[in-house]
Amino acid sequence: MKTNDIFNFRRFGRYFTSDLSTCWSNYGLSLLTISILFPVGTYFLTNVFNLVLRSTWDGPDIGLRSFIFIVATICLVVTMPVKCYGKITEKQYGSFFLTLPASRLEKFVSMFLMTCIIVPVLGFALHLGTDAIICALDHTCGKNLVAGAAELIRNIGDMTELTMNFVDESITIENAALVQDILGQINNPWMYIDEIFGITLPFLLGAIYFKNGKTVKTILVLFAISMASSIIMTPFLENWAAEIVKNANADTNTILQMFNNGIFKNLVLIDTVSDTVFNLALMAGIWFRIKTLKH
Amino acid sequence: MITIKDLGFSYRETRGVKTITLNKEKGHMLPEDRYVLKNINMNLEEGRIYGLLGENGVGKTTLLTLLCGLKNPQTGSIDIDGHNPYDREPSFLTDQYYLSDEVAPMNMKAIDYARNYGKFWEGFSLDKFIEIMKELETDPEQKMTRMSFGQLKKTYISFALACNTKYLFMDEPTNGLDIPSKAQFRKAVTKHTREDSVIVISTHQVRDLENIIDPIIILDRQDVLLNATMEEISEKLYFDYTNEKTADALYSEMIPGGNIQVRLNQTGEDSKVNMEALFNTVHQNKELIKGIFNK
Repeated sequence: MKTNDIFNFRRFGRYFTSDLSTCWSNYGLSLLTISILFPVGTYFLTNVFNLVLRSTWDGPDIGLRSFIFIVATICLVVTMPVKCYGKITEKQYGSFFLTLPASRLEKFVSMFLMTCIIVPVLGFALHLGTDAIICALDHTCGKNLVAGAAELIRNIGDMTELTMNFVDESITIENAALVQDILGQINNPWMYIDEIFGITLPFLLGAIYFKNGKTVKTILVLFAISMASSIIMTPFLENWAAEIVKNANADTNTILQMFNNGIFKNLVLIDTVSDTVFNLALMAGIWFRIKTLKH
Repeated sequence: MITIKDLGFSYRETRGVKTITLNKEKGHMLPEDRYVLKNINMNLEEGRIYGLLGENGVGKTTLLTLLCGLKNPQTGSIDIDGHNPYDREPSFLTDQYYLSDEVAPMNMKAIDYARNYGKFWEGFSLDKFIEIMKELETDPEQKMTRMSFGQLKKTYISFALACNTKYLFMDEPTNGLDIPSKAQFRKAVTKHTREDSVIVISTHQVRDLENIIDPIIILDRQDVLLNATMEEISEKLYFDYTNEKTADALYSEMIPGGNIQVRLNQTGEDSKVNMEALFNTVHQNKELIKGIFNK
């Protein structure tokens, strides 16, 4: 096979813009509804309830808005792949998808970019933008979600500094450093990106793998995988959890020393590596499905 | 040119599967019988419009989907100008188009569909698409989701012809078209296809394509009964429209105003080939016809 038949930037550009346009016509309205209507609806419903029940004009607080943001994100991730790519398992659409003159790699990369980057970024931007506008217009809502998240990260950072204040009072300097090591790990952007991929990719694979009941079957498979991994992990965690319970009434330093092991010191690294392996396996599955799809 | 060598395909994988318990007498099929296509050999030459005829379930659609790379042959090979269709290389795909028998609407206007996807086929012309749409009396500005099945079919036919590919595979293209549209379709195919193109059209409605298809391929289960040009057919078979019944007729049928009889052409006289009579003659005299045409 010639290199040009594997990947060609010009052809990929053409394919990606076509994919974007098709996705927009299939999913644009849903994207706008989920990303804009959710925060706006929450705002109005909360105010209506507050007016009726408490006779006050009080917008939704950051806790409720964060919850709605998570719900909207889940809706976005679950519905997008099915709407944009789910039809390739149907003969009419699938045969056109497979015979469209673009390489498998180009189709795969475009699918990945759309599902894992373009749509989530656009959804987040619309949701957070709408939230910021609502908060700017009505101060009863408090901080907007972006400012709230920035504050949360700052607080976690402060907490690592705060631990130093307890040195000599209740904890040792070694334990304070341990807390800093463990908490400091969250400043790893790849961890968050990896998590987003870890949510979107299974639904993309489900959309192009299952012929019907795509979302339900994907959720059931994820449920089965998490059950299986829990069963596998239980023997390893059982002793450690029992130890924690046993020492629940012990002093802070004893409890903190229980976290002084390689697993907790590299918790985010382990999580990132395992997520990356899982995501790579999902990507391989998507690639293999595109490669072997027949109609 | 398309070269098909010892092509075999079955819908259930037989390799490595133990099927020793299956019993033909009880209605089960033995592995050998599962093949829809078996040992198919033929060459499809440039500048021809092949009519692919056969009863239901003999593998017409299967053969077309194998030719365009939607399926992978289980035995034998297909070579199209040095390409294996199943590799689905963009350089090959850009010179072929497959029009499925089942069409489904995209969520956009017909003209937008043509703009969005036409750019992938090097020979595509938007003006030609609009011209064919007009010839087929369909509005390119109409949304595909609001089209009737016939209008949708005409849109896809227009797109397929506007792609101006060397290889064009059409599965039951006249299904769902009204009587005037069938005539317009015949006109469009002869007017808007390349001189060097290889067009394969499968159909049950032989009369719809009577004047444009040449050669004729008649498929039977696991076999090719006939692959001959109209000239070869009229050289070897004589279609007699007189009322006098002859004893040596291979096939005879009452038609309004008399009879049609098909017999071996022993005098070298010319006659107009009647597709339905030909089809029935071939089916009633399989071995004889194969013997005559394979000489």
